Amino acid sequence: MSLTSPRRGPAAVILLLVVLTAAAVALVALSACGTSDTASTDASPSPSGITVTDDAGNTVALAQPAERIVSLAPANTEIVFAVGAGDKLMAGTSYDDYPEAAKDLPKVGDFSNPSVEKIASFNPDLVLATGGIQAGLLKKLEKLGMQVYVLEPKTYDAVMRTITNVGQLTGTSDQATTVVDGMQKAKDDVQAAVGSLDPAATFLEIYSKPLMTAGTDTFIDDMIRIAGGTNLGAMAGSGFPNFSSEVLFRENPAVYIADSGSMSKPGPIAKRAGYAELDAIKNGHVYVIEDSLIARPGPRLAQGLQELAKMIHPEAYGTE
Amino acid sequence: MTRLAHTRAWPGIALAASILGVCFVLSLALGPASLSLDQIWHSVTTGPVSGDLSNAIFWEIRLPRVLLAFLVGAELAVAGVILQDLFLNPLTDPYVTGVSSGAALGATIGIVLHLANLPWMAVLALIGGLATLGIVWISARRRGRIDIFVLLLAGVTIAYLASAVVTVLMIRANEDMYAIVYWLMGSFSGRGWSEVEIALFAMPFMIVPLVFATEMDILLQGEKRALELGVEVERTKRALLITAGVLTAIAVSVSGIIGFVGLVVPHIVRLLVGPGHRSLVPVSLLVGAAMMGIADLLSRTVISPNEIPVGVVTTFVGAPLFVYLLRRGSKR
Repeated sequence: MSLTSPRRGPAAVILLLVVLTAAAVALVALSACGTSDTASTDASPSPSGITVTDDAGNTVALAQPAERIVSLAPANTEIVFAVGAGDKLMAGTSYDDYPEAAKDLPKVGDFSNPSVEKIASFNPDLVLATGGIQAGLLKKLEKLGMQVYVLEPKTYDAVMRTITNVGQLTGTSDQATTVVDGMQKAKDDVQAAVGSLDPAATFLEIYSKPLMTAGTDTFIDDMIRIAGGTNLGAMAGSGFPNFSSEVLFRENPAVYIADSGSMSKPGPIAKRAGYAELDAIKNGHVYVIEDSLIARPGPRLAQGLQELAKMIHPEAYGTE
Repeated sequence: MTRLAHTRAWPGIALAASILGVCFVLSLALGPASLSLDQIWHSVTTGPVSGDLSNAIFWEIRLPRVLLAFLVGAELAVAGVILQDLFLNPLTDPYVTGVSSGAALGATIGIVLHLANLPWMAVLALIGGLATLGIVWISARRRGRIDIFVLLLAGVTIAYLASAVVTVLMIRANEDMYAIVYWLMGSFSGRGWSEVEIALFAMPFMIVPLVFATEMDILLQGEKRALELGVEVERTKRALLITAGVLTAIAVSVSGIIGFVGLVVPHIVRLLVGPGHRSLVPVSLLVGAAMMGIADLLSRTVISPNEIPVGVVTTFVGAPLFVYLLRRGSKR
């Protein structure tokens, strides 16, 4: 192999590296523009109607309580049923499975890709959407003149605020207040039980291949903290990041909780390679939790929070 | 021909093997858990024991993962060499035969049925890959012989079909979507000895192209010329295609779809040692293993505790190297 033109090679490589660098800069710039979420309960029951601010920061105003609601996420559907407005729900998504009545609703498509036409065909006066994956859809719906409320709570308290707001919008504030009080009571009970205990290092597995966890800016992270744990996943960043198995072993959590349901069954966790050496497995502090109790920002988070607390601090509940 | 036949293979193989050796040591010594060299040496000398966390990190997490990356890299690189030279097409990679898409379909079915954490997933992927190979094979058989171009077209067509079915399953199994996406991206995260065992089944198949090295050299001049020179063309093609298919299916079943290694390693090695298969096959095997090992090392260490998908790293490492060698090679 001759090197008659050693300069041309590096030049091409440098050009390539420049392109890659530009792409990297674009990527960083892209991820820098985060979204702010501040659902506020400054609902003004003024004579003119109902006004609330959703999790995307948009103001949603209705002249009278919604009568024809379309839900675009399983959690949203659960909330509507919980506040007692289930009879006003015209349609949901194909993944709605709770409560039982939700399964019988007409479907507007999938959570990630609902059909705009189908939504419009129900002529809804309120659409309950989520952020992220549905952001592109929102503009289309708003262009069609629909009132869209975005549910994207990032903490346990934010879920309670969201439920209050949905209660306002559907004219069922009383029952919404009951639901929220129940959630608050669950939180108070948990805090009374575990608040004074040392936080236990907890790893929450969302998925195993690759290993994924819940990071900061998620209500799961918030709930682990309320339940008296420190979330190892927080060190991997926000959202639902992947997580190095080696770091999991180095950190050696006291409690290992695997989420089961929507993504996969975790299988026999203690039998996984090397897991027998983890303190959590040695001490029997390895648990499986139903996905919809911790990953769906709805009223059942109260139950999820209590289960988390019992898993993270069994001693506080006399179950150990 | 004469030049190829007389090129000595051993210096290249020895060099590639020593590079792989260095990669092996580096991959075992470095990792996000930052074990000290003392701890690693202690783990190596005591062997796998229970009750010691750093020992478990070394024996149960790091070592199987490194071995798996090496095996998958070697499998894809060898499959790449075979297919590029059989199809006489430089753009061929192990995934054009449709085998990987079939394997992806098998794995997707496993995910949708929530078998994701069992060896079932790998088995289903393997079955999917081999079934696809069978379909493509039957489509391309004409009066007892395999038409390579029909095979290529059938492979691409079946690949699209399988991908379409995967997409449909993704839409139907809404919340499994992320699991499928992650699987398709390819990764060595969370893999252990059970995957290594599956990948080891590929070892005997990696010897096949070495046995057929001379035939493969001659086939580079076209099937007609090979027939004239007395090569049993159909038998050779059959053995090599099955080998490439099995290697790809096994690699995909344990790691998902990891691009670039199977395409680029054969080219890089060809530029370095020439097209003679007595060198090309073993050196590609070793370089493929080393490249995948380094890519996985970067994937698990650079942004720890997060991981970069290994397919992204192989591309980042491989693309500049390949462009550099192409520029150099074109001046020969």
